Amino acid sequence: METIIQTYQLTKTFKDATIIKPLDFALQKGEICALIGQNGAGKSTLFKMLAGQLRPTAGDMHLFGKTGRDVAQARRRMGFLVETPVFFPNFTATQNLEYFRIQRGVVEKKRVDEVLEIVSLAKEKRKRFKDYSMGMKQRLGIALCLLSSPDCLVLDEPINGLDAEGIREIRNLLVKLNQEKQITIFISSHILTELQLLATRFVFIKNGVIVEDISKDSLQEKSQKQLQLTVDDTAKTAQLLEQTYVDIQFKVLPNQVIIIHNHVECSGDINRLLLDNGVFVREFRIEARNLEEYFLELVGGNGHD
Amino acid sequence: MINYLKSEQYRLVRKNTLHITSLVCLLLIGAAATVLYYSQKADPNFPYVTTRFFYSNVIGSGGLIIIVSFLYNFSLTGKDTALLKNAVSFGISRNTIFWSKLLLTLSYFLLICVFGIGLMIGLGETLMTSDSQSVKDFLTALVNMLPIVFSAFFLIHSLKMLKVGEVYIFILMLLIFVFSGDLLRILFRPFTSLHEVYKYAPDTLLHENLLNFMNHTVQFGYQHWITGVLLSLITLLIGVTKFAKQPID
Repeated sequence: METIIQTYQLTKTFKDATIIKPLDFALQKGEICALIGQNGAGKSTLFKMLAGQLRPTAGDMHLFGKTGRDVAQARRRMGFLVETPVFFPNFTATQNLEYFRIQRGVVEKKRVDEVLEIVSLAKEKRKRFKDYSMGMKQRLGIALCLLSSPDCLVLDEPINGLDAEGIREIRNLLVKLNQEKQITIFISSHILTELQLLATRFVFIKNGVIVEDISKDSLQEKSQKQLQLTVDDTAKTAQLLEQTYVDIQFKVLPNQVIIIHNHVECSGDINRLLLDNGVFVREFRIEARNLEEYFLELVGGNGHD
Repeated sequence: MINYLKSEQYRLVRKNTLHITSLVCLLLIGAAATVLYYSQKADPNFPYVTTRFFYSNVIGSGGLIIIVSFLYNFSLTGKDTALLKNAVSFGISRNTIFWSKLLLTLSYFLLICVFGIGLMIGLGETLMTSDSQSVKDFLTALVNMLPIVFSAFFLIHSLKMLKVGEVYIFILMLLIFVFSGDLLRILFRPFTSLHEVYKYAPDTLLHENLLNFMNHTVQFGYQHWITGVLLSLITLLIGVTKFAKQPID
């Protein structure tokens, strides 16, 4: 599989502070990778180095297998939206994109209208950028990313300022781009529930260090917290559980609910055990931590961005 | 680089402030000629309706020309620099950005200068008393001014690209293009061998150029070119080197 982004010991230091500690990271073609971290963890700094806005203090990066001076050429296959999108305030959306269409050597003039259509700004294309809402500005930023039909998108907080409908639209758009056009996506957002719906891989960064790099499946597995059962006979259930699993930890709650804290991975066996022994299971649920809980547990902080 | 130049041109032609500045400059030239012309009509003894006096307003306005060059430069290096991150993240090199913006603003500035000079000569030669040498002397004096105005333009461009504040740029321009002669004279007073250095200061050269023009003794001045080229090289070298390492947020 083609590696789109590869960093080797990539480091960024500002004066005395090392914002990105020697970082090794690889993004494979077709992935939707979420970068998650608190404020100041180094997410934007990493994105800016990939975008060429900041020069790494040390280390190396390969984009589409290119390194050194060739990296600039490889960036033409990528679309970056790092922090807030910036455009000419007095230009309309069409004029702004036309400026970049010329700059990026995109031959088809109709591409401007196409990308405006994709981000649902076709009806607002004659409005000046300064009159746009925050959400519309974000959409225009995404439109710019798509202008040159990239193979990879690097998006830093792309759904910032969007309403619920807008967030859903952008999520669907990104999923569509990934599935239909195999566009690789590297994304950060403070809305972790959205990332959970979108990403296939999660990278957690803390103080410039990747503390966890996990696939969606592994995350789901690791996030499983407890089993919640509602049965007709809690006494019999407890007896069966204790007989089968010596170290089992569970709690019997009112309304014939039992919470099992360990052996979550044996949920199937537990279900079969109860059914085979005539226990009627009204509800059987695996409670999992959501991405936010997982993140907070991992980085040990109270807030995040 | 061609694509970048084209896109910046797309931007430049849609900059209203730039067109207004150009129009105001040309109108001021026209207004100055008209005032002089009607002053003579009102008072036949009015002594200043000569091409030499009319042209001397430009030769003596080096500072004003530098301010105009600042405004032109500002059109592509002002607030628009916030968009640089979009260009850089598309793999456009900082070198391309630096030189394209310089080339385009300088070309537009020169174009307006040529228009302005043409207008001045046209108005001067048709409305005012002209001596046979005034146009030739005017053009010679302008050739002497050119490298110094260019160096100012390059300095402003480099400083703007490095995101230096307008106030600091203004102070630096004052120091180099208005006070440098006096400063060098005071600074090198104790050193006999450096007594003459102040003669190469931009403001001294511009002042001398004006005096020579008024005295009908203006000649091609190699000193102007030495100072201008040296200043230009230094500013461009520093500008392009520092801009290449500059974070673009």
